[in-house]
Amino acid sequence: MGKRVLCIAVLSLLVAVVGSGCSSKKGAKPGSGTSKIGEEGIDSVGSLERLKKGQKPGSGEGGPLQDVHFGFDSYELDEQARAALRENAAWLKENGSQKVEVEGHCDERGTVEYNLALGAKRARATKDYLVTLGVSSDRLTTISYGEELPLCSEHTEDCWARNRRGHFVVLGD
Amino acid sequence: MRRLSLQVVSTGRFVLAIALVAFASLASASAQVRGTIVGPSKNNYPIAISPLKNLSAAGGKDIGAQFADIVARDLTLAGLFKVLDRTAYIEKPDASGINAEDINFDNWSVIGALALVKGGYTVEGDNLTIEAKLFDVYQRKQLAGKRYRGGMDLVRRMAHRFADEIMAQFTGERGPFDSRIAFVSTRDGRFKEVYVMSLDGGDLQQVTKSQSITVSPSWTPDARSLLFTSYKRGNPDLYQLDLISGRETRISQRAGLNLGGKMSPDGSTIAMALETDGSSDVVILDRSGELVRRATDNWAIDVSPSWSPDGRQLAFCSNRGGGPQIFITSAEGGAARRITSTGDYNTAPAWSPKGDRIAYVSRSEGAFDIFTVKTDGSEPRQLTQGSGNNEDPSWSPDGRYILFSSSRRGHKKLFITDVGGVSQVELTQGGGDDTSPTWSGWRE
Repeated sequence: MGKRVLCIAVLSLLVAVVGSGCSSKKGAKPGSGTSKIGEEGIDSVGSLERLKKGQKPGSGEGGPLQDVHFGFDSYELDEQARAALRENAAWLKENGSQKVEVEGHCDERGTVEYNLALGAKRARATKDYLVTLGVSSDRLTTISYGEELPLCSEHTEDCWARNRRGHFVVLGD
Repeated sequence: MRRLSLQVVSTGRFVLAIALVAFASLASASAQVRGTIVGPSKNNYPIAISPLKNLSAAGGKDIGAQFADIVARDLTLAGLFKVLDRTAYIEKPDASGINAEDINFDNWSVIGALALVKGGYTVEGDNLTIEAKLFDVYQRKQLAGKRYRGGMDLVRRMAHRFADEIMAQFTGERGPFDSRIAFVSTRDGRFKEVYVMSLDGGDLQQVTKSQSITVSPSWTPDARSLLFTSYKRGNPDLYQLDLISGRETRISQRAGLNLGGKMSPDGSTIAMALETDGSSDVVILDRSGELVRRATDNWAIDVSPSWSPDGRQLAFCSNRGGGPQIFITSAEGGAARRITSTGDYNTAPAWSPKGDRIAYVSRSEGAFDIFTVKTDGSEPRQLTQGSGNNEDPSWSPDGRYILFSSSRRGHKKLFITDVGGVSQVELTQGGGDDTSPTWSGWRE
């Protein structure tokens, strides 16, 4: 936890020094021709559409909305997940017209049907927390993909942990 | 798809009477095959299955061998029989008779056969007639005889049906082989599609082309249609596909999960898990998808309904007490009782067609295995152990076998086991994962 606070402090300092170019989620100010353009991917394609295109599911990495992770057979949001959702909520408030779909995913262990239901719980728990943070519920839809669309396919604890996730897809205005 | 018709004619009045007499002698010779199946073992009943004799003037010589191959494969899967190697047979099918008085039974007893299948076939245009007979070699008597008539495309089914008849002669209950299995597979690429085949792997057919995710196929009681959940229109909706007409109907398309649909034994309603605000409950729909009632209604996960054979109760999986466990409730709703008492992760209940047991998946020591338990929660029995993850149990129509998926050889593939877990045979091979198998009832 201490490391994380330090990290955030350093990042804040960097942002203060470098200005809008570093980790800004809104890009450069209009008309400031000398500053760099901030660029990051916004995942606007859901994991099922990605499958149809032959792509891997989206991970939230490098995007404005972070994935949140869960324990085995759990849809509880731990402090790390809540912290991520607070940052996601801030982006959602800054981008007040964007609608977002929350995907619930599971690891490969267990039954297809139970995992689909568990993924629905995860997506819903994620949505509900964002709503308590002030994001309007009609901007948030949910869908469960259970264990059907894993990020990685190794049979290891690390891989399972990556796959147990809530993922955000920006649907647009 | 062409509508199949299969006409069955018993080959004589005497069959039943003789079968009753001969059954007593067979039973004394093979008491171990009655009751619970305990194969494979050295005690499996030795049976010779001769290729059928060509009784018509011309053509189609492989039909006789094909029929024998399929019967042999079925009886081997059954775990009760030792099918004797055909190369040892002394009597050649086309140079010997197919009636008890024309068969030299010494030629069969000398190679160790206690039972014998012989018969003949006739081809007229596109019409096939097969006469198949089961003999007691020691008693030198016919035990059963059937004449099947139909199109040339029905030879496989005629063989399955005669295998079921042989099972009936030996155990008093019809065998399960004139049926089909449906399953989900990624064998043809990254999408999950539904496939249908016979137990012997014949007549394999891809029946969905969703280019999407398809899960949880289940047969309607008439073995004619499949229910399944598909993401092909984005939301996981429930569909019904008629395999004969090819007509597909979307039954339920409520926002969120419309999952694991199972038609009631009388064909009047469908049980399904429906998601409302993230929480899945078991609901009953009519055949057109209208909500009849909720069988469960709470904040927990309730999924995977499975009907009791009388249609009055539902087994389902719920995590209302923490981890997932198997419960039973009245199909009319009301209190549910938990029936699994061991293990902290029990899912995927499947009610036996005989009504006495429920198969399910349990996590034990980090792996998933198939269990069965009596409906009062007593006598849990573990069927798989120490061989990868074993999931998705589905009963045979006669309640003597369970079909499941297993990762014991790497990719998930389909296996069949007897209810004792003794004989476990791989049904599918090759690339991709084969999962969620579902065994149909007997075909018309």
